[in-house]
Amino acid sequence: MTTATGTPKLNKTYSWVSGTLGILVTGVVFVVPFIFIFLTAAKSRQEASLLQFSWPTEWALWENLVEVIQTRDYILITAFINSTIITVGSVALMVIVSALVGYVLQRRRTRWNGLISFLVLAGLIVPPAVVPTIWVMQALGIYKTLHGLIFIEVAFGMAFCILMFRAFVATIPRELDEAAIMDGAGPIRLFFQVIFPLLRSVIVTVIVVQAVFVFNDFQNPLYFLPGDQGATVQLTLYNFQSQFSTSWNLLFMDILLITVPMLLMYIFFNRQIVAGMTSGAVKG
Amino acid sequence: MPFRLRRGAFALPAVIAVSALGLAACSSGGDPEPSGSAGGGETTEAMEPVELSFLVDNAETSIGVVEALTAAYTAAHPEVTFAIEQRPGGTEGDNIIKTRLQTGEMTDLFFYNSGSLFQALAPTQTLLPIDDIENAGAIQDTYKSGVTADGVLYGVPAGTAMGGAMLYNIPLYEELGLEVPTTWDEFMANNQVILDESDAAPVIQTFKDTWTSQLFVLGDFANVLAADPEWADKYTANEVKYADGSPAIDGFVHQQEVFDAGYLNKDFASATFADGARMVATGEGAHYPMLTFALAEIQANAPDNVDDVGVFAIPGESGPSPLTTWLAAGIYAPATTENADAVKAFMNWVATPEACDVQTEAVGAQGPYFVDGCTLPDDVPQMVADMLPYFDEGNTGPALEFLSPIKGPALENITVEVGSGIRSAEDGAALYDEDVKKQAQQLGLEGW
Repeated sequence: MTTATGTPKLNKTYSWVSGTLGILVTGVVFVVPFIFIFLTAAKSRQEASLLQFSWPTEWALWENLVEVIQTRDYILITAFINSTIITVGSVALMVIVSALVGYVLQRRRTRWNGLISFLVLAGLIVPPAVVPTIWVMQALGIYKTLHGLIFIEVAFGMAFCILMFRAFVATIPRELDEAAIMDGAGPIRLFFQVIFPLLRSVIVTVIVVQAVFVFNDFQNPLYFLPGDQGATVQLTLYNFQSQFSTSWNLLFMDILLITVPMLLMYIFFNRQIVAGMTSGAVKG
Repeated sequence: MPFRLRRGAFALPAVIAVSALGLAACSSGGDPEPSGSAGGGETTEAMEPVELSFLVDNAETSIGVVEALTAAYTAAHPEVTFAIEQRPGGTEGDNIIKTRLQTGEMTDLFFYNSGSLFQALAPTQTLLPIDDIENAGAIQDTYKSGVTADGVLYGVPAGTAMGGAMLYNIPLYEELGLEVPTTWDEFMANNQVILDESDAAPVIQTFKDTWTSQLFVLGDFANVLAADPEWADKYTANEVKYADGSPAIDGFVHQQEVFDAGYLNKDFASATFADGARMVATGEGAHYPMLTFALAEIQANAPDNVDDVGVFAIPGESGPSPLTTWLAAGIYAPATTENADAVKAFMNWVATPEACDVQTEAVGAQGPYFVDGCTLPDDVPQMVADMLPYFDEGNTGPALEFLSPIKGPALENITVEVGSGIRSAEDGAALYDEDVKKQAQQLGLEGW
């Protein structure tokens, strides 16, 4: 390596060094906190309250795990079921509805376009107010229901998705639509059989971003789905943390349990996610 | 993996705006009205099984108190059962309470602070008046003033009084032969001895949890009141200010003095409340200005050292300094409850000595109760034993938040600055006077 003089070799050294550096930085930023969570989750309450990055003197991993799961009559199980339903339901709705809106908004030029784009942008900018939203939900009879919260998540996430889809549809040649229509495809078939499959890369992006967003959402479930039946995983964190005293070992065990599904999802779908994100970029 | 405990607090401004507009009156549309059958056939109705929902914050002591009270009540009245629901504390908790009251979705009973936070709920519009319960007379008047709005009573006490006081490490005091100080000068002299003759930090401060920084100011209020009994009323009327000088400014000045003298623990800027409680229990530090509910934290995280921690009132200029006290939290019911009779019967029972004993058994003796006839066991933790003489002698004064609705939101940030030497005491007091101005104007007080 020290005798390297040619540019190709220099480039190789350079990429090797930057690659190592990248791995190291990733390790420090992502792995170290994770190890800290794991170690704290394995400590006794008194030891955990010191919040030190140290090896536990006695391992209480299993005891903590059992205690976290049993807390408040197995509420964590309910919470996982609720969170899964909410995440899957709202992301599926968001993808289908936003793709439809984005497609029509891009393809069909009318004088309403300006107003509709403004409303979509307003959805991104205007902060939602809690109490009036609850009044609306009460009037519709969907307050304190799972599907009510799914609609809330869809409403808050849709503006972003529509912008993504509309921008992507612009890169699909109009000739494709025309060819399909010439071949006798109706509007429904045109969208679901011709356009929708082409949106794959942006759909993957939307799914990843919104799934993390909805799964990690704290504020909306807190206000719009009160009650123990409607607990979501992020709300269970408050079982172990209060304003004045916190059981750090149990809190971190809960965090560990909550982080695992997202982590597994990422590990298993890693290839598809990266492929989806880059395929859009390469196609340009 | 991105992990966020909470997202931006977008909800807060909306909630405040709506409460400020006083839209509560419009909120009952669509709710089932409270059943009008309260008068007829009360005796038969009382026997019907009823389940009351109960919202409580997730502090271990609060849950312990509520679980014990409800379990004991169900044992005596099998037809009444309870469904306990938990909520976070702090700002999130305030928002939940206000949101659910405004939208008519509150549980049949809920547990919440008394004093200025209670007043912020717009009790006259949202809560169930309980003047007519039998045991209303047994509740002490000091407490009643904290849960009364426009002369109407809305809550019964749950839990005990606590003090905003100086916790100290008893073994360290014995080792150095120190006396419990009654004035600020004696306190500073003790600090100097501790600094010179031991490894312990004379004064513990824990600014990672910013709320802990306020005790020098808030816990000094009984001294202010001793010097000027009318101070709180004048303050509400905008006639006196913290920056006007002694006695009110003393709290800020004292906080600056302990910093200037170098008495603080080295990690004061990053230590947490849990650290502070541990340090004063194990003798790593000598004094920790804190609310006496720290007892629960010490019992959980340093159980072997519980009796090593004592309490004295935060010293003022002249002794013997009175103890600044905080009222117990309360149990309230919303005006929208459908089970008003059952709710009132339960609240009536909470204001009995029997209910006090149930609480003592569940969470231990934390301090004196606010119901006539309640007693404490002989064997109480050292911190409670140190507090009791102040109550017995009447040498106490309520905290400002129970006498005046004004409490600026930025006090904890200002006291962190003063306590870290970033801002002078005079500057801090003046800044806090500015901070409360906005809040007083929002409340629509006279003279602001």
